[in-house]
Amino acid sequence: MFKIIIRRMGFAFLTLIFVSGIVFISVEALPGNVCTAYLQRFAQGPRLEKCIEQQGLDRSSAVRFRDWLAGAVQGDLGVSLKRQKPIRELVGERLRNTVLLAGTSAAVGVPFAIVLGFWAGLRRDKRADLAISGIAMLAMTIPEFVTASLLIFIFAIWLNWLPAVTIVPPSASVLDILPNIILPAIVLSLVMTAHIMRMTRTAVIDILTSDFVEMARLKGVPERRIIWRHVAPSALIPTVNVIALTVAWLLSGVVVIEQVFNYPGMGTLMLQAIYDRDLPLVQAIALIFSFIYVGVNLLADISAALLDPRLRTSRRVY
Amino acid sequence: MKKAILLAISAVIAANVANAQTLRLPHEIFSGGAESLDPISPSRFFEVGQTVYSRLVRQDYDGNITPDLATEWSATPDAKQWTFKLRPGVAFHNGNAFNAEDVVFSLMRTQSEAIDSPTKGGLSIIREVEALDPQTVVIRLNSSHADFPILLMDYRIRMLDAETCNNDRNKLCESGIGTGPFKVVSVDPVGTTVLERSEGYWEGPAKVEKIEIIGIADQQARVAALQAGQIDVVLSITGQQSALFKGNENFIVQPVATGRWLTLAMNTTTKPFDDVRVRKALRILADRDSIGKLVFGEGGYTVACDNPVWSGDQYRAELNCPKDIEQAKALLAEAGYPDGIDVELFASDVTEGLVRMAEIYQAQAKEAGVNVKLRIAPANGYWADTWMKSAFVGSSWSQRPADQILNEAYRTGSAWNETFWNVPSFDAKLDEARQTLDFNARKKVYGELQETLFEEGGSFVPLHQNTMRVISSKLSGLPEVEDFTIRFQDISKAD
Repeated sequence: MFKIIIRRMGFAFLTLIFVSGIVFISVEALPGNVCTAYLQRFAQGPRLEKCIEQQGLDRSSAVRFRDWLAGAVQGDLGVSLKRQKPIRELVGERLRNTVLLAGTSAAVGVPFAIVLGFWAGLRRDKRADLAISGIAMLAMTIPEFVTASLLIFIFAIWLNWLPAVTIVPPSASVLDILPNIILPAIVLSLVMTAHIMRMTRTAVIDILTSDFVEMARLKGVPERRIIWRHVAPSALIPTVNVIALTVAWLLSGVVVIEQVFNYPGMGTLMLQAIYDRDLPLVQAIALIFSFIYVGVNLLADISAALLDPRLRTSRRVY
Repeated sequence: MKKAILLAISAVIAANVANAQTLRLPHEIFSGGAESLDPISPSRFFEVGQTVYSRLVRQDYDGNITPDLATEWSATPDAKQWTFKLRPGVAFHNGNAFNAEDVVFSLMRTQSEAIDSPTKGGLSIIREVEALDPQTVVIRLNSSHADFPILLMDYRIRMLDAETCNNDRNKLCESGIGTGPFKVVSVDPVGTTVLERSEGYWEGPAKVEKIEIIGIADQQARVAALQAGQIDVVLSITGQQSALFKGNENFIVQPVATGRWLTLAMNTTTKPFDDVRVRKALRILADRDSIGKLVFGEGGYTVACDNPVWSGDQYRAELNCPKDIEQAKALLAEAGYPDGIDVELFASDVTEGLVRMAEIYQAQAKEAGVNVKLRIAPANGYWADTWMKSAFVGSSWSQRPADQILNEAYRTGSAWNETFWNVPSFDAKLDEARQTLDFNARKKVYGELQETLFEEGGSFVPLHQNTMRVISSKLSGLPEVEDFTIRFQDISKAD
């Protein structure tokens, strides 16, 4: 068990190194450098020299990559070109806000989805299942920004119950941010719920028809006990992976949703950085996102191993 | 008597209560939160600059130069020395009197190497500024400039308090203390910045009591916020978005002409564009009106005849430039291309509409036998690697007054002379315009310069962009003028 965890962590680490390499190389491969990309028509004379000096572009790519990684490990992500501030300062509060939004959505969406998924699975092809599955399909197929615009129209513009967009600064207290979280969190959990619910439903149906459940039934185990002792843990294993993927999806979903709602998180910062051609900031955020992505997947792998008796051993089971 | 005073006071109070309104403006967060309260900083906070500080002169709603903190001005006959009389009794928000020393400080600091302000180039014509007495300044120029006050009308050239800024010309001054209609209460560019009206403003207190400037980076989000009543105005929306507000009695959509333009620039020193006949043929073959309609939609543009001077400028020449395929073909034949010509055009997604304009131009050019090979260059590095490097490229410019745009884009040796328009007689006329103090005579010279560009130049300028502004119908006192001309103190808001 311990070995598996160590091995997974090793893989996660290698993945991160690989991803950071790609992030770095893709910026290197752009024509010009970060300073000419940022300054555009003003890339000449003292302004360009000052920028090159600040970003340390006189060093070779290999040295810059090494310094960049070493800095990132210590929490130093460099200096934003447009904002002329250490990136760490810019990211701090915004990371908190994004985690708050994604966390709220997940905290609401995941349990809701699992319950719905179980219910639908247990009532397969009955009216409740058809209704839940149908709504889930709809929620999945409508792009999140459409759902968002619809909700803004209904709740902010028409009914005037909730703010249409967030107008508090990134540094606002959690209490001030909370009212602004409601609409974006609903949108995010809607899409998320649909994905996880579908997976849970499939897993439940799968397990219900499996041999060991059949065996338990033949042995006369009460249905309630079968569901709680045998079906639930087994059905959760594939679900955990989907949850991990969905939480990772939350990150990309969050970019769009944050922008639509003007929410002061990592997503809006990333888009602004792209508009500003502030490449050091784009690089840093890409790195942070990949770190979270890999981290969440690592957690999922470990929890799946904990849930699955077959994975708890390092011996191969065929 | 006493009664009358009391009545007057209560009337004033009543009026104040009635106006106790907050105007809420969106802020596009152009500097990502690093917005500076210094009006000449490269990352200036636009909405604060417009409301908190004053200029020496300002434009009226028709674009004419009118007094602000300067009440009158005059020039020596060679237009090299200007004397400005200052408005008496004006005070900064901290109580300091505004005087000539503040003008010396505010103008000279634009030339600081350390600040490296975008206003440095425009005002480098200033040699020195002298305070003759507290109410009079003399500005001596390096060369003649009959329209020098226009340079001072730039929205960034604002008057700061020399004392508050420690008279340090080489440092940004972010005190937020000006002489404008509003004073700063709190600043948060990505959140909400609060201003309150200055009761001592020289023109009388502003109509609204407070302004809140709310940071919303995304255009869609700004539109949603306007619809939901979180803000009162969006200065510029797209044609598509304006449909959301048409027919809605809660909002007013204003079309506003601006001086932003898109262009296809030919290098007039390389083949085949060194032949004036080829240049003219390539320009007159276009149907400018349909380019405008296809790129920006009905009402989204004002046709230009290759003159970069925009429709709101007093020096704009009224030219006529219909599509003329026959003449274009004849000119090309005369230039040695009777069977048409192949040209390579570079464009990029650096400005909205540029690529689309190039594509439409490509289609239109076929009719005149011009085969345009369109190359879409990556936006990254476009200005460094393609613009002014390739012979025929797309480009875009923001709004500038006539004299400035003609000098920046068409004077020999200018850094952004993108058509390599090195014509001594043109330069001489640019100088002549600056030396001509009589307005009508000067206007004639600027008109001739624009005609020359239409007859011989290398810039294809089919249009200037219009923008659509949406305002809440609660607002009044905001006429259809471009952003720099808005006077926020004149806007009032109904309950």
